[in-house]
Amino acid sequence: MTQKKPLIVLFQCQYCLASSLDQYWVEQELPENVKRVKVPCSGRIDPLYILNAIQGGADGIMVCGCMPEKCHYKEGNLHARRTLNEFRNFLNTLGYPQERFVFHWMNIDERGVIQPLLASFEERLKRSKDRPRLANRMLNQENG
Amino acid sequence: MEHEKGSDLRDLLIVLPGCEKLDMCFSCGTCVSRCPIQQKIEPAYNPRRLLKMIALNMQQESFTSITPYLCSACDLCYSACPQEIHISAVLNGVKKLAMQAGFSTPLKTARVDALTCVGCGFCEKVCPYQAITVKETNVPLRGKNLLIAEVDGAKCMACGTCSSICRSNSIELQDRENSEEVVQDLWSWLETVEMGAEK
Amino acid sequence: MVDAARHPKIDVRTYTNVERVEGYVGNFKVQLREKARHVLADRCNGCGECSKACPIEVPNYFEMNLAPRKAAYVPMSQSVPLRYTIDEEACIHCYKCVDACGALEAIDFSQEDKVVWEDIGSIVVATGFNHFDPSVIPEYGYGRYPNVITAMEMERLNNSAGPTTGNLIRPSDQKNPQRLAIINCVGSRDKRFNPWCSNFCCMYAIKNAVLLKQMNPELEISIYYMDIRTPSKGYEEFYDRARSMGIRFIQGRPSLITEDPQTKNLFVHSEDVVLGKISELEYDMVMLNQAAVPQPDVDTVSSVLNITQSPGGWFMEYHPKLRPVDSPTDGIFLAGACQGLKDIPSSVSSGLATASRAGRILHSDEWEIEPIIAQVWEDRCVMAQGKVCGVCSRACPYGAIVIEEGKAASVTVAKCHGCGGCVAECPHNAITQMHFTDAQVLAQMRALLADRPEEKIFAFRCHWCSYGGADLAGTSHFDYSANERGIRVMCSARMDPDFIYEAFRLGAGAVLYSGCHPQDCHYITGQRVGATRADRLQKLFEKLEMTSGRFRIEWISAAEGDKYSRVINEMQKVIDNIPHDQLMAEIERLRPEMEKRARRMYETPGVDKALVYSDEMVQAITAKEVKSGA
Ligand SMILES: Cc1cc2nc3c(=O)[nH]c(=O)nc-3n(C[C@H](O)[C@H](O)[C@H](O)COP(=O)(O)OP(=O)(O)OC[C@H]3O[C@@H](n4cnc5c(N)ncnc54)[C@H](O)[C@@H]3O)c2cc1C
Ligand code: SF4
Ligand code: SF4
Repeated sequence: MTQKKPLIVLFQCQYCLASSLDQYWVEQELPENVKRVKVPCSGRIDPLYILNAIQGGADGIMVCGCMPEKCHYKEGNLHARRTLNEFRNFLNTLGYPQERFVFHWMNIDERGVIQPLLASFEERLKRSKDRPRLANRMLNQENG
Repeated sequence: MEHEKGSDLRDLLIVLPGCEKLDMCFSCGTCVSRCPIQQKIEPAYNPRRLLKMIALNMQQESFTSITPYLCSACDLCYSACPQEIHISAVLNGVKKLAMQAGFSTPLKTARVDALTCVGCGFCEKVCPYQAITVKETNVPLRGKNLLIAEVDGAKCMACGTCSSICRSNSIELQDRENSEEVVQDLWSWLETVEMGAEK
Repeated sequence: MVDAARHPKIDVRTYTNVERVEGYVGNFKVQLREKARHVLADRCNGCGECSKACPIEVPNYFEMNLAPRKAAYVPMSQSVPLRYTIDEEACIHCYKCVDACGALEAIDFSQEDKVVWEDIGSIVVATGFNHFDPSVIPEYGYGRYPNVITAMEMERLNNSAGPTTGNLIRPSDQKNPQRLAIINCVGSRDKRFNPWCSNFCCMYAIKNAVLLKQMNPELEISIYYMDIRTPSKGYEEFYDRARSMGIRFIQGRPSLITEDPQTKNLFVHSEDVVLGKISELEYDMVMLNQAAVPQPDVDTVSSVLNITQSPGGWFMEYHPKLRPVDSPTDGIFLAGACQGLKDIPSSVSSGLATASRAGRILHSDEWEIEPIIAQVWEDRCVMAQGKVCGVCSRACPYGAIVIEEGKAASVTVAKCHGCGGCVAECPHNAITQMHFTDAQVLAQMRALLADRPEEKIFAFRCHWCSYGGADLAGTSHFDYSANERGIRVMCSARMDPDFIYEAFRLGAGAVLYSGCHPQDCHYITGQRVGATRADRLQKLFEKLEMTSGRFRIEWISAAEGDKYSRVINEMQKVIDNIPHDQLMAEIERLRPEMEKRARRMYETPGVDKALVYSDEMVQAITAKEVKSGA
């Protein structure tokens, strides 16, 4: 059996990734196993979104927001950091390994970092033996 | 005839806090290229042009331009401007004057569902613009003097942070897909890839 | 430079610091520290064997650290004089150089710094400028991105005597770039760093672009600019030539440079302000035209030479238009960029100008000064009686007053410029200014306020500014109250509090204290001395409950005739608004206090005579008025 590619949900604020090339890549050339959810600000990311993604069977979650102090909405990203850090602790209780949820601050002068970032995240997910106990169960139940 | 002093758009603005250096603009364009809005959201957005329009007293054009409404005061341009012009303060000033003159914001701001809001005040705390206040309101079908969040349309910048914190899903941005749609979209994607992989 | 070194009358002292300067025009004593080279200058013949033998390599600051040099070195092969130096900090004392030098025996590790005093007639300061470090602007990535270089580094990279023999290469991979961006005004015209325009970077941007394009017509060059400044002869034509060679000019100040981590290519984000659109263009290399800033040691140099700085840290000239190469201190001159940024032609012109100014001093046996200098009455000076004072020396902007314990203060005549600040500050009236003695001023005041003083507005004007302003108001026929009476002193620093007390004692309706704007003062800090005193007086009069507006402080330039007339008219209104009996009552009430405060002045030598003289004047005037009135 060929190992299938891990499914990754990428939550992204609409402002990070300053360079238009990266922007184009995210919008048009994203690999099939990655789903981008565009939000106005990382502060808009409801933990419920992430829970839903996990329930739906996502193997990894990546959140991209602007650097602290570079938030286009003043402090939306700081709010996101508070909430999502709290939420990450909660993931353990759910039985979803914490390292499958990553948070990345994008600096506006970084270029070409999103691609290697996603690739290495994918690698880590593939190698990880720590399978989420929760994943797929719901989906299989529904389908079965 | 010399026209009345103090009635120009520039004169009205320059007395507002933060707008003192309004006249100093070089028109160098640093602010425009520093700001993510023109590139990502709205090609017509251009604070440099707005400053020029103010200098030329183009009142009508300034008030109807999209620029003052879209600026969310992140101040990335302020830290880059060589003339230290507090551009967001100027844009905010234009917005205020425009609102006074009866113009309204074209932004799709947040909206509260009074039927489900429980008045917990979380959103009031997280809003970066202090646009939300929890007030006693009479809600038809629900009762009198209930604590309900209220959004000030002139302050809201549509970032959506409030909707992420709301535990009763009662506050939502007007233009974007609401939470349910986002979640639906996510599920349908997950299902299709899942199916594809199984085949 | 080589010619200068060979000239029999020019003595070039390199590797030497000026540590102290004493004396005055024509008679300076200068302390020099000749730093130890560890090489005997008279034996070294510049063969360079020591450098070849030296095992230590450090970056060469002359090559903008792009190339190495040895610990035994000359910064460049054309150095004048061509004498090697051993860099004490880098040397490991292996003494290989000593062996290499051999029979010449020019290397001497026991050499120490030598301090010498020299007699100097006049001094020319030509310390130039320094380069702004663009790494403090994070958005341009200098220091983080290898292919972002400064203009100075570019000067070395495209110089045929430079580290790459003129071959332009990218620091990241040593390849020749195909696309080059030049960014103007990096740290200049930027209120966050340096508000000034650095004067020559637009031109050298164009020069470098043209040179590079000539060497390699394939190279694409874009210049990002806010404004291109080409004001001198032939400069605009040079700009035209650059355009016709296909060099691209993009109007818009970049806000961000990003780097592709793989190729190390750079992307410049800017708004093309003509299009109103953001452009994000890719380049192989970016050159930053960094601002020119004052030398890091300007403060030391100013205090050693006792010369002042204009805002920003450039040395202050005596007068911006009329005496641009003189410093405010006689016998010290300013050449080149240290006085204000200049390109090479202007630097050379100012250098030649200083040479002729300095030569004038060297060729004369005597030096004429204005006779309005300060003089000390030694018997009145309390220093002579062993008390501690020295107020006068602190007030002097030129350091002309020497204070020694137990001796009366003494004025170095050649340094005194005659502002009169010391005279007004001395609490014991022990100094006087020739031609502006207390007695003379007093006589003028008494004569002018002899008749119906309560109607008069008495104006103290400084020679350079407010007097000129009053003059201009007159010649321009700006109307102002005919009740104004004014006298001239050299500087607002000379406006003795005693004069003001005396004016009010004599019953003046209002008194104006006027002088130059702070930045226009002809006596460096004279205006500041005057302004502090005026503020003190203002507070005192408030305490004495004088009607506000009767004493007024205004800074009026020689070009502000309209302001002068407006101020006088406003003061007239103040007097008009006080009922006559009330005004008289106030004058009477304050008179004893004023008299008490001005008391000491009457003891000053000469004042008694002035009183007699002015009384005669007063009688004459009144007689005349009676006659003409009749
Ligand atoms: C990248 C670049 C390119 C340029 N290209 C051109 C060009 O093509 N054409 C043009 O006309 N102009 C050009 N200029 C401008 C030119 O460099 C200046 O006009 C010129 O150097 C000014 O000369 P200066 O003698 O006043 O000062 P500087 O050249 O700065 O010389 C000052 C000297 O004083 C010495 N010094 C400083 N402090 C002390 C001290 N305390 N004691 C003893 N010595 C001291 C310094 O070591 C230095 O040798 C360029 C400038 C830059 C930055
Ligand atoms: S960055 Fe400042 S000076 Fe430049 S266009 Fe914008 S407001 Fe004007
Ligand atoms: S000379 Fe040109 S590049 Fe240099 S600071 Fe002035 S305007 Fe900017």
